[in-house]
Amino acid sequence: MSTLSKPASVEQIDSTMIVKAHRVNKSFGSLQVLKDVSLEVRKNEVVVIIGPSGSGKSTLLRCINHLEKIDSGHIFVNGRMIGYYERGGKLYEESEGNIARQRADIGMVFQRFNLFPHLTVMENIIEAPVNVRKMSKAQSRSDAEQLLTRVGLYDKRDNYPNQLSGGQQQRVAIARALAMKPSLMLFDEPTSALDPEMIGEVLDVMKELAREITMIVVSHEMGFARAAADRILFIDEGRIIEDTTPDQLFANPREERTRAFLSKILH
Amino acid sequence: MFYFDWAVFWQYLYPPTAFQNPLVRNGFILTVAASVIAQALGVLLGVIAALAKMSKLAPLRGLADLYVWYFRGTPLLVQMSFLYFGLGVTHIYGFPDFHFGIVTVTGAVQAGILALAINEGAYMAEIVRAGIEAIDPGQMEAAKSLGMTYGKAMQRIILPQAAKVIVPPLGNEFNNMMKTTSLMAVISAGELYYAFTQINARIFAPFELFLVASIYYLFLTTVWSLIQSRIEASLGERKGIERAPGMLQRLFAGH
Ligand SMILES: Nc1ncnc2c1ncn2[C@@H]1O[C@H](COP(=O)(O)OP(=O)(O)OP(=O)(O)O)[C@@H](O)[C@H]1O
Ligand SMILES: [Mg+2]
Repeated sequence: MSTLSKPASVEQIDSTMIVKAHRVNKSFGSLQVLKDVSLEVRKNEVVVIIGPSGSGKSTLLRCINHLEKIDSGHIFVNGRMIGYYERGGKLYEESEGNIARQRADIGMVFQRFNLFPHLTVMENIIEAPVNVRKMSKAQSRSDAEQLLTRVGLYDKRDNYPNQLSGGQQQRVAIARALAMKPSLMLFDEPTSALDPEMIGEVLDVMKELAREITMIVVSHEMGFARAAADRILFIDEGRIIEDTTPDQLFANPREERTRAFLSKILH
Repeated sequence: MFYFDWAVFWQYLYPPTAFQNPLVRNGFILTVAASVIAQALGVLLGVIAALAKMSKLAPLRGLADLYVWYFRGTPLLVQMSFLYFGLGVTHIYGFPDFHFGIVTVTGAVQAGILALAINEGAYMAEIVRAGIEAIDPGQMEAAKSLGMTYGKAMQRIILPQAAKVIVPPLGNEFNNMMKTTSLMAVISAGELYYAFTQINARIFAPFELFLVASIYYLFLTTVWSLIQSRIEASLGERKGIERAPGMLQRLFAGH
């Protein structure tokens, strides 16, 4: 149970607002990882997040689908508060079933793919549509076939994940998330566990996707950011210290810390 | 001067003659049935206890800890006597006989199987928990991010993977179980070992009879080892788990 204060600006949420985070704080023990983080993402926007290791990028993503609880603040996705409900001016944590339902609409792609090794590619993709959405197997399968064609892996549908390369696994993981028809996709360093020659194939899929779905992507792939991002955020020590367009950021970073960080990753 | 009574030995070893004796026949059947049933119940209890041990709810964890502590910390022989004789005198449950058509399940058999199962559950709890903890936490996160609840993720994603980790130690538990059923003799449940003590009381041929009993147990455990190797090999094939040790290694390595 959480006893947080009332949201300050719920009324500002309109239907084009997919994510709204308001003054989110999060600590692990005595370590404060997110400090008053506020963020708005609109429909079809693609937001790339960069920042040094340990700055809180993953934690921010994980708070957005409530894989982590927050200490204070509010996060709304599609106008609904994530993980909490309000009663009498106080916030309480949602029931497990409701949290699960909220997460079903938010796709997440992990650095280490996290495919289910005991299931085939096809089974990985239809698992949640069938068992969470209660869709028919036939419908889920035909949807999955389309998704697999899209990520170029139709012929791998009956393989197990350990029979695929890293790049292929990550493309399956993206298809698995898309099979739930999410309104928002979160990517946590989707290419940083890949061999260099496989990064391109995953980024190509993501660039394609960026045209039609709202995405928040933690990634230091600046080529992707330039090509696909509407906005780029720089997080340092738990604060968003830059929120601008890629062009702006590369041409003229506002903060000295951003400049220093960019020179490191762009070398 | 001792001489080996071949007639007695063959009579009780050779199934067509041995199984004419209802003690041997029922004893053999009971040993196999009790092993299978007690092990199955033990796995079920083990899964429940393992999940309780990993629960967020402290009272549930405490209960599971208490269960494992008691049943691993006291002899099975005591637990079995306690359950059958102890519970009997309290009139909480007297273990009446059950009749299913021509089959009668005596109270002693029920109590024996129950004690074996509850005891086994305490050991399985640790095995199941280790199996679950061997699974990458990323699996639970991926399942949750797809909208699964904890229960659904356990059932569909975590436990099927943990099963592969659990199978080898589970096989060894079952091997032990078949031998441990002999403790049911203390409540006269009538399994294989008890059958041979009864026959021995009549004809007094302890050397021959307990040798035969040993051979029956060896037969059961050896057949099981073969089955276990098969199961593990087929599990390993699909998932690329390390190959299970061969038959001979398994028999003589003494897990
Ligand atoms: N479950 C946890 N328990 C304790 N500390 C944690 C936990 N998760 C993250 N942290 C700490 O919080 C800080 C922020 O972690 P986070 O994973 O969000 O960083 P990040 O920006 O994603 O870094 P990286 O680029 O290395 O992935 C780190 O110092 C990390 O050690
Ligand atoms: Mg991270």
